Amino acid sequence: MDIFSNISLILDAKTLALILGSTITGVLIGALPGLSSGMAIALLLPFTIYLEPSQAIAAMAALYCGGTFGGSITAILINAPGAPPAAATAFDGFPMAQKGQAGKALGMAAVSSVVGGVISLMVLITFAPTLARIAYKFGPPEYFALAIFGLSMLASISSKSPVKNLIGGLIGLFVATIGVHLTTGISRFTFGVDELFEGISFVPVLIGLFAMSEILVQASKSELLLERIKFSAIKLPSINEFKSCGKSILRSSGIGTFIGILPAEGGTVSAMIGYNEARRWSKNKENFGKGEIEGVAAPESANNAATGGAMIPTLALGIPGSATTAVILGGFQIHGLRAGPYLFEQQPDLLYTIFYGMLLANFIFLIFGLMGAKIFSRISLIPRGYLWPSVFVFCLVGSYGLSQSMVDVYIMLISGVMGFFLRRYGFSPAPIIMGIVLGELVENSLAQSIIIFDQNIFMFFTRPICLLFFGLTFLSLFYRPIKNLIYKGKKDE
Amino acid sequence: MIKKIQSIFLCFAIVVTSFVGMGQVATVAVAAEFPSKPIEVVTHAGLGGGTDTTARMLLIRTRKNLKNNAYITPKKGDSGNKAMAYVKSKPKDGHTVLAITPTHLFRMARGEAALTIDDFVGVARTTVDPIVIFVNAKSPYKTIEDLIKAGNKKPIKYGGTNVGSVDHISGLIFAREAKTKIAFVPFEGGGAIMTSLVGNQIEAAGLNLDEGKDQLDAGELRVLAVMADQRMAALPDTPTLKEKGINASFATVRGVVVLKGTPQSAIDKLEKGFLKAMKHPVYQNYLQGAGLDSSSVAGSKAWDTEIKSIYKEARAALVSLGLAK
Repeated sequence: MDIFSNISLILDAKTLALILGSTITGVLIGALPGLSSGMAIALLLPFTIYLEPSQAIAAMAALYCGGTFGGSITAILINAPGAPPAAATAFDGFPMAQKGQAGKALGMAAVSSVVGGVISLMVLITFAPTLARIAYKFGPPEYFALAIFGLSMLASISSKSPVKNLIGGLIGLFVATIGVHLTTGISRFTFGVDELFEGISFVPVLIGLFAMSEILVQASKSELLLERIKFSAIKLPSINEFKSCGKSILRSSGIGTFIGILPAEGGTVSAMIGYNEARRWSKNKENFGKGEIEGVAAPESANNAATGGAMIPTLALGIPGSATTAVILGGFQIHGLRAGPYLFEQQPDLLYTIFYGMLLANFIFLIFGLMGAKIFSRISLIPRGYLWPSVFVFCLVGSYGLSQSMVDVYIMLISGVMGFFLRRYGFSPAPIIMGIVLGELVENSLAQSIIIFDQNIFMFFTRPICLLFFGLTFLSLFYRPIKNLIYKGKKDE
Repeated sequence: MIKKIQSIFLCFAIVVTSFVGMGQVATVAVAAEFPSKPIEVVTHAGLGGGTDTTARMLLIRTRKNLKNNAYITPKKGDSGNKAMAYVKSKPKDGHTVLAITPTHLFRMARGEAALTIDDFVGVARTTVDPIVIFVNAKSPYKTIEDLIKAGNKKPIKYGGTNVGSVDHISGLIFAREAKTKIAFVPFEGGGAIMTSLVGNQIEAAGLNLDEGKDQLDAGELRVLAVMADQRMAALPDTPTLKEKGINASFATVRGVVVLKGTPQSAIDKLEKGFLKAMKHPVYQNYLQGAGLDSSSVAGSKAWDTEIKSIYKEARAALVSLGLAK
């Protein structure tokens, strides 16, 4: 395949400058909690009519790539994931920064993001039309099975006690039930508040649970003076550290690409599953949640792989693979273009421009991320008396800016206080976030499946993909007890 | 110290109130010269959605036509009710424009909305997107009659967006008028409905043409009927339900309205500015990209009449379905 013969398509000054500008804008916007790349693309949409269609779409796609990576910067430095897909990055990224290894965490995030992004792009350009059809195989029953598989990780997703993880997961599931029920139209736990009608927005909860509760934690130990050595904080990861994360990065890239293809799921779930699988197969399970570098590499490669993955059904079928790609499809419309099979057969030039735009975006944020790591990591050296009050301002603005609603700010503050006490009593935010992310999917897909199956719940077992995920769920729950049993049996002999 | 702070506050309060006062005087004084400040378009949907994108495309040229700035304020929540409540709180001077869809009208028809149908005046229609009944290309249902017949034996699994949406109501009315049965399967959005239809999870769906166009062209889906009074230019061979004697015409229509009581001169200026913007290639290209006809665009009078008739029909339908009192 002559993939590289078309590279000249983006080699003109205007296109290159656009991609450079969009990527860096994306990284910065992605880093700010409450501003998302989807939002930025929607706002820029009307201005792109003055560009060539292919340039416009390439710029939007580059912004998308940059935005996904950008979320990790604030997740690592101030425990405030800039975007939901970066939530899992904060689990280990922030503890690393606390230990004075901010540079290592940021460097690892940049490199693993690029590996994930590039792998998914290669998959996109070679197999997109075939792989995109996976989207058709996933109906409500299949999403239900996938969500159940995701929920089976609740107990093990953090190294805190499994019982507490399960309780946290249930809190998350409960929060996800707030709002109107999809198939009945009945509103639940909204107490007449209009803003809760469409459910609790995820971003304020995220900012509250992570950043706001961190502010309270920091405030409670303000007497402590922390000494950090500047030199080690800005140090980048060593070659050996990259090598040790290789397997996790590859595994996560695969998980991310696959989940990215599914229209109902994207970066956030990919990162969670990537993180959990890295922990499952790691030799240092106990270090996860306390600043394990693999715990940064896995979710970052997964969420960036999901970016390329989400572009697969978007470009090949015209079905948005995520909220941001839905906006990019809007960009196609504005220019009177269509995505879909047509794009691959009749407009390869446009396709290649998008592909190279995204590829270039990945390398731009690699350079930006690695060089920036040395600068950004100094943020972790700011005395906490100055740093955390400014993070508080970030939290307020970030949760308000999402939909200019004070209710979101209250949600953020309540989640912050709740998060503080939950952490104090040994709960991790990870299962709560997982519960919220999967709660809506598991509930909606079950309700839809029941209608589709004429109320016969056993029909789930007639679906091959459902059976596969149910099998994986069974393995993930009972792998260890069974292994222990066999091992014990051998010992007895 | 406290006294000092109090006096500072007092001074501040006086300054602020006098500014506010001046502002009111100023608006009254220049009310004749509309527009005197930027135009605010209030939407009810998220950034990048159909309503948002349409509004943004509309404003590009409107700004030039009215020689005035214009911006979008998204007020998401409660099926458009939040946007309606916000607009209601604004002065009736034409500077606040509400983008409406059937969602708002249905919300009003179900009662308990911040605005009633008599509270606003239509300014211009921006898009008309009839609902098209799609089935899988391999489906045994070749015509709309096949589908109706099958529904009599066993309810058709019919996909659409949220309960209470135009998809839902139109599906129920279609079933009632065609004397058949559907089991409505709600989805979060058009993309999910379409994939479920291609994947044979559901048997039929009410979608906008654009949502299923790629799959239709690729031969994966088939269209059975259009819920409109006239055939669509893009689907000349597809019958309308009306032709089949089924009285169910529904479309995702979008347009802009202002509060009743706004000076007629302001409405006229807005209408002129919007209509000219929608004739421009920038907007026309967008319509074409979305698979819509240029007949989507209509002026104040036609649009206002249409809103009222949609409301009336929706109200009757909702009452007869037991969804409103």
